[in-house]
Amino acid sequence: MSVIAPNFKLSEFIKSLLDNVFWIVLLLVLIGIPAVMMVLFFMEMPVIDGELLTPFLALTWLADPSRILPVVKAFMATDIFRVMAFPGFGFAALLAAGTIFVERKMLAKLQLRVGPFYCGKFEGILQLMGDGLKLISKEIIIPAKADKPIFWAAPVLFVAAAAAFVAFIPVAPGWVVADVEMGLLGVFAVIGFFPIITILSAWSANSKFPFIGGIRALFQMVSFEIPLILSLLGVVMLTGSLNLSQIAASQSSFPWIVFLPVGAIVFFITMLAELERIPFDLPEAESEIVAGWLTELSGMMYGLVQLGTYLKLYAFAALFVVIFLGGWNGPMVVPPFPAELLEEGIELGPIVAGPFPGLPLFDQAMLNGTLWFVLKTVAVIFFILLPRGVFPRIRVDMLLNLGWTKLIGLAFVNIFIALGLLYAGVLGPGGLQ
Amino acid sequence: MADAAFLALTVITIGSAIAALELRSLIYGSIALMGTLGGIAGFFFLLDAPFVALFQLAVYVGSIAVLILFTVMLVKRELIFNKIEDKRRKFAGIGLMLIIMVSLGAVFLDSGIKTITTDEPATDFRDIGTDFVTYYWPALILMGLILAGSVTGALVLAKREDVENDQRAS
Repeated sequence: MSVIAPNFKLSEFIKSLLDNVFWIVLLLVLIGIPAVMMVLFFMEMPVIDGELLTPFLALTWLADPSRILPVVKAFMATDIFRVMAFPGFGFAALLAAGTIFVERKMLAKLQLRVGPFYCGKFEGILQLMGDGLKLISKEIIIPAKADKPIFWAAPVLFVAAAAAFVAFIPVAPGWVVADVEMGLLGVFAVIGFFPIITILSAWSANSKFPFIGGIRALFQMVSFEIPLILSLLGVVMLTGSLNLSQIAASQSSFPWIVFLPVGAIVFFITMLAELERIPFDLPEAESEIVAGWLTELSGMMYGLVQLGTYLKLYAFAALFVVIFLGGWNGPMVVPPFPAELLEEGIELGPIVAGPFPGLPLFDQAMLNGTLWFVLKTVAVIFFILLPRGVFPRIRVDMLLNLGWTKLIGLAFVNIFIALGLLYAGVLGPGGLQ
Repeated sequence: MADAAFLALTVITIGSAIAALELRSLIYGSIALMGTLGGIAGFFFLLDAPFVALFQLAVYVGSIAVLILFTVMLVKRELIFNKIEDKRRKFAGIGLMLIIMVSLGAVFLDSGIKTITTDEPATDFRDIGTDFVTYYWPALILMGLILAGSVTGALVLAKREDVENDQRAS
């Protein structure tokens, strides 16, 4: 068995769980429910449909699908759900968590190692949860001469900026947190905040390794921001819109990567540099400057920065999908919702459940769009992770040379290709689209 | 709602501008400058000009403030600045600023700004682009030439001459 916890016994573990359940039930019955009843005794309860709304009745209604489904559906239309759960933070964090695990496991396989192995019965699948618990429970150590307000604020600001980036990404038709007319410009503005946060965090730690890493990050991000912006302008010219939903919707017959492969390649390389991934991981070069600008961060501050980094990775991959790979467009593979379920309900032998008025929760186009979007995004994330197992780190002068001369030149070539396609009448009015 | 946002933005902009001037720590001063520039971007949002606002954020907060921050971090401030604490200069400065503000305000109020109707639809940035390529094309070409010249100059300045052996030249 595992050597990490030699005294572990499953029976003892189950016994402790049962002990906890016993005490919770006992305390609830002896203290909790009488306390609730005493409070309710003094409260005026509303009368609905001629029945007094007691807690028991409310719980009964909560278990009734025909009553709870419309509530759930109404909740899913609110902004809170969009920000917290589906196209926003929760969805992105789920994909980011999956990315972390897949990255560790895939990198291990590429380097003929095993990777996370012990947490969880199958291939260390609970490793991420264990790491999260470790980071939460760890002490946060602030360097004595650090500039404390900035040092505390930087990880939070990093996650906030990454979440703002995620908010611009349209996942399915109509499913986007912030559907603004200037979506792409908003993305550029948000990307511009990352170097500031990085250099402030690095400076405030008052230590030499973070400062060197922060300066490297600043060089790298600022010099690669220009080809990043220029490489997306070709698509903006062909689409005539800065709205990301419109850009995604304009690719219903073919993705833009067919016509602008140069722009896609430039954007992919600049994306790797903005994400500080190998071969451009100079800000975190662990063999030279400990951990770069993350050196002095500990505990959950480091966890927040990691969360922000992987949210940013998802957002960049999703931006690549939206702009070059057609976003949510794809063949309709999700079957339509069965109509008899809406009219007659489900028959299971003698039991007939339904019909349920709230169904379907998601329409067919949304499910199909999400499916294709997630498939494409996962593919792009795979190609972002892959260089880590293949390439060494490049030197900083080569990096700046690449960013300032080659990539900017290629981005202009891409713009001229787009202009040529537009003026030759291949695309745009009178052309294919 | 818009009034409250306007007031909040005014407080942020002017407050952080004063902080940028008055704070002794240069880093905090440049962060306050970022607040000022961001507040101006907020004003552009209120004026229904998100195009300008987002460029203000991307260029001023994202690039120029970073340049200032970067320069400040590499500077040892003790060697450059002498603290001159002088009460009379301070009051003279405040008085001068008040006089300038009041006279500027008088000019603005006199200029017929009150007669502007505010219900007009926001100008589409595409119209501005169309104007640039039709009526104002000489200005566009001039700007393009200046920008191209500055980019080329920057690239020439940044090009390294001191590469010795062939192995280091990538």
